[in-house]
Amino acid sequence: MSVKIYTTPSCVYCRMAKDFFAQHKIAYEELNVASDDKAREEMVRKSHQLGVPVIDVNGEIFVGFNKLAIAKALHL
Amino acid sequence: MVYDLVIVGGGPAGVAAGVYAARKKIRTVLITDSFGGQSLVSADVQNWIGVKSISGFDLAKALEDHLRAQEGVEILDSDRVSKIEKIGVGFRLATDQGKILEVKTVLLATGSSRKKLGVPGEKEFEGRGVVYCSTCDAPIFKNMTVAVVGGGNAGLEAVNDLLPYAKKIYLLQRSGALKGDPEMQDKIKANSKVEIILNADTKEVFGDEILKGLRYLDGTSGQKKELDLSGVFVEIGIVPNSALVKDLVSINQKGEIVTDPKTQATSEKGIWAAGDVTDGLYRQNNISAGDSVKAVLNIYDFLNKKK
Repeated sequence: MSVKIYTTPSCVYCRMAKDFFAQHKIAYEELNVASDDKAREEMVRKSHQLGVPVIDVNGEIFVGFNKLAIAKALHL
Repeated sequence: MVYDLVIVGGGPAGVAAGVYAARKKIRTVLITDSFGGQSLVSADVQNWIGVKSISGFDLAKALEDHLRAQEGVEILDSDRVSKIEKIGVGFRLATDQGKILEVKTVLLATGSSRKKLGVPGEKEFEGRGVVYCSTCDAPIFKNMTVAVVGGGNAGLEAVNDLLPYAKKIYLLQRSGALKGDPEMQDKIKANSKVEIILNADTKEVFGDEILKGLRYLDGTSGQKKELDLSGVFVEIGIVPNSALVKDLVSINQKGEIVTDPKTQATSEKGIWAAGDVTDGLYRQNNISAGDSVKAVLNIYDFLNKKK
């Protein structure tokens, strides 16, 4: 299982998503697109999104934090 | 089973209602897709009474925790009410997740949502350059050219959020003058990154895979003009979330639910409303919570009279 989350420090939906991962003991990689230009380019390329969070669960891309959709993708 | 009360919404009004309903031992279910209401995205809330300073995120958590500490309030989170109809005992509700509930009374605490521009391209480019949360997404637009639509306080704050990041910020205001806080106006006007365009009526946003720009009617010259942009931040106000009950209760021209300020009762017996969805004059967390408490106490009286 590979989980990546693209975030900015000021984004509350990103915090909600990270809290959710922590609560369910899901390991994830966080990429801060405010400070990491490469991560920002990667996020835009993968998702065509200019908004966070973008969550990548095994290559499946989710825009925003939809708890039910993420839970389903993680088989929770 | 028939619930005595359904609370629709998880902002300050919804949570205050849940806490009071629990204390009154009203058989209650609360349905919401998230907690905290519109303040969730605020960096700092300094007027929630009893707390000097709290982030919107922490305020949302505190509200949720307070509600979850109550006994006897069932919570359906990650869900939304999709339909409310009248039946013999009161009302029947359906939710997005396919639940059907029967209730004697309804408290609508659905709040309000960000107003959309309603122009071609807006929906298509939402998240692809069209932004509704400047606090969240401003840092992504580092070294890019963006526009903020709306010259009220929310628009000025969006410009302020963008100042450390964007290369150039156009601020488009439909009327002939900015409306927000004069101090913030001065700060923004003094920054060379910012160009204010007054009498600008946004007509369209466009792009290919991502946003490329915006077209507006320049009311000063009467000409259609175009800006090349990577982002458009929409900050033109809010609309009450009253669509769910538009055929059930009386709603004013602004889309607000008409309520009796003494009790928060609506025009339909058995339905109350509190918070930003109502025609109350002021939009404040503390007022939403207080109005909602009024509603629950009145609902308690109503249920007792029925027995």
